[in-house]
Amino acid sequence: MRSKTRVPICTPATVVAQDNQLRATGTWTAFGLGKMGADLGLDPASRRTLDLTGIDRFDTTGAWLVQRAVQRFADAGGALQVDTTRAQRELLDLVGQHQADPADLVPPTPPGVIEEIGRDTFGLINKYLTFLAFIGRLTFTAVRVAFTPHNWRWRTIIRGVEEAGFNALPIVGLLSFLLGLVIAYQSGVALQAYNGSIFVADLVGLAMLRELAPLITAIIVAGRTGSAYTAQIATMKVTEEVDALRTLGVAPLEALALPKFFALVISLPLLAVFADLMGILGGMFMANAMFDMSFGTFVQRLNESVSLSSFLIGIGKAPIFALMIAAVGCYQGFEADSGAEQVGRHTTTSVVHAIFLVIVVDAVFAIVFSKVGL
Amino acid sequence: MSAALYESGREPVIRMVDIVTRFGRKVVHDGISLDILREDIFAIVGGSGSGKSTLMREAVMLQEPTEGTIELFGQDVTHLGELASLPVRRRIGVMFQYGALFSDMTVLENVGMPLREHTSLDRGLINEIAGIKLSLAGLSPSVGVLYPSELSGGMRKRAAMARAIALDPELLVLDEPGSGLDPVSAAALDDLIVSLRDLLGLTIVMITHDMASVRRIADRVAFLGDGKLLALGHPDELAQSGDARVRDFFVERDVTECEPLPSPGSAVAKP
Repeated sequence: MRSKTRVPICTPATVVAQDNQLRATGTWTAFGLGKMGADLGLDPASRRTLDLTGIDRFDTTGAWLVQRAVQRFADAGGALQVDTTRAQRELLDLVGQHQADPADLVPPTPPGVIEEIGRDTFGLINKYLTFLAFIGRLTFTAVRVAFTPHNWRWRTIIRGVEEAGFNALPIVGLLSFLLGLVIAYQSGVALQAYNGSIFVADLVGLAMLRELAPLITAIIVAGRTGSAYTAQIATMKVTEEVDALRTLGVAPLEALALPKFFALVISLPLLAVFADLMGILGGMFMANAMFDMSFGTFVQRLNESVSLSSFLIGIGKAPIFALMIAAVGCYQGFEADSGAEQVGRHTTTSVVHAIFLVIVVDAVFAIVFSKVGL
Repeated sequence: MSAALYESGREPVIRMVDIVTRFGRKVVHDGISLDILREDIFAIVGGSGSGKSTLMREAVMLQEPTEGTIELFGQDVTHLGELASLPVRRRIGVMFQYGALFSDMTVLENVGMPLREHTSLDRGLINEIAGIKLSLAGLSPSVGVLYPSELSGGMRKRAAMARAIALDPELLVLDEPGSGLDPVSAAALDDLIVSLRDLLGLTIVMITHDMASVRRIADRVAFLGDGKLLALGHPDELAQSGDARVRDFFVERDVTECEPLPSPGSAVAKP
């Protein structure tokens, strides 16, 4: 005999009353039960008999619904007797054996507001402390490695400079060029009213060299390279590659973090110089196109108005930014512990923190320099 | 083979005909045909890299074979679109090798997830059913409030099993169910698989390296090697197979047959 192919058509599960006898019909499975009530739509204080033999399918969901109804009837002082086939009885018994204590299914109550604030505060303090500890360990490692030049990983550092510096040239160049263009245009329009278009060169030169070129470079590098550092180290942490390094007697900080620091400290100032150049070029183009200022006049004006110290201040900030971006990137990478989702979370945090730090420190520099009169 | 099929009176849940799979030049499957019958516990075994996992992925519509056809529940699903495949997928439960639990949900939410997506049962009932499934899979329901990252490998596996059986699927596919479990837990998992088949009439396909488990519970075994189906039959038949590659897999290594190690004293005793 061949059994017919079972087609999963669901007829809603129902309970039909015939005299005092209740007859169940339809599909008593997760799909067929719909919103069947906890007591099967019956008064739990009554005494009933439910005949399950007429249903077309039965699964654990259906079995639990029946089993639960039996228990609720018993609790309410009634009784529900169930007529079943042998297989149905076995399933009912199985479900009965495995039913969970309702207390286990309640998720733990979320902490109150006060507890939340406390936890967050301590969590934050703890994070700053571990970050400080990380910086400390890194410094010690750097000092130790500095005295053993054969341990310097030149190959890794040079590859890092290529990746973080050389490969970033197009994007840094394009964005600074556009930035110079925009500054020249916006300031030029305002200055034109006072016949002062010539001062466009002063504005573009000062703004780009002193502030914007290093800042935009740092922000691009934080998004481009800082995130890559975090993602790489976090992935290695999650896949136990960092632990593997340690068991092989290689210090992860020395092998993974230090070369990144060096690469970034070398790359970022160079990128900033390139950004200076492209930004001024952008301003020059705009001044030439909109305000009929020749390239020669622009450069001459630039020479008169922008001092060497402005350029040096701008470039001097770049290595500091590089240290911060690398520190945040590596720290966040090492903070990831288990699970792939940690990689994404820490990468996002790394970029946000790095950009935040860069802008805050840049503001601090601006205030300090203006106080000392540079 | 087809004569035996009709005698048994059970229709195939999975029918694969002349499956060929190629990745570039690499031939993974070179013409594999097999039927998996309803209520069978069917094991797919073979050496590492023999294409077991790929065959499983093709059977559950995660990947299309290069050539050949695949029928599930009597329906050709070889080139079924994403939307048309949904009703078929709902009838299949898959347990992945590393659990593949959703990391942003608790274990209980993970297990209840298929029920929430596909049925209109109320939340309380879904949680109770998820608790039962956890218990069926051999976990205490009290782990339900934990997140997958807080579980050990073995527990994660059981939670994944609980999620795979959440909807009492007609076809349950298990990728390496016993790996990473201690022998006692692995045996308990075997018992669970058999009782699910017996009570719910599930068809179970498992990919495994655990020969003890295969001999204990499998009704039929497919042995893959060199891209082909090297043998198909009851575990006892395969253990007597004429093909040494197949037989070797089933023969339990007897340590007493090995060359005894020279005793440490013998070398020193020489004058």
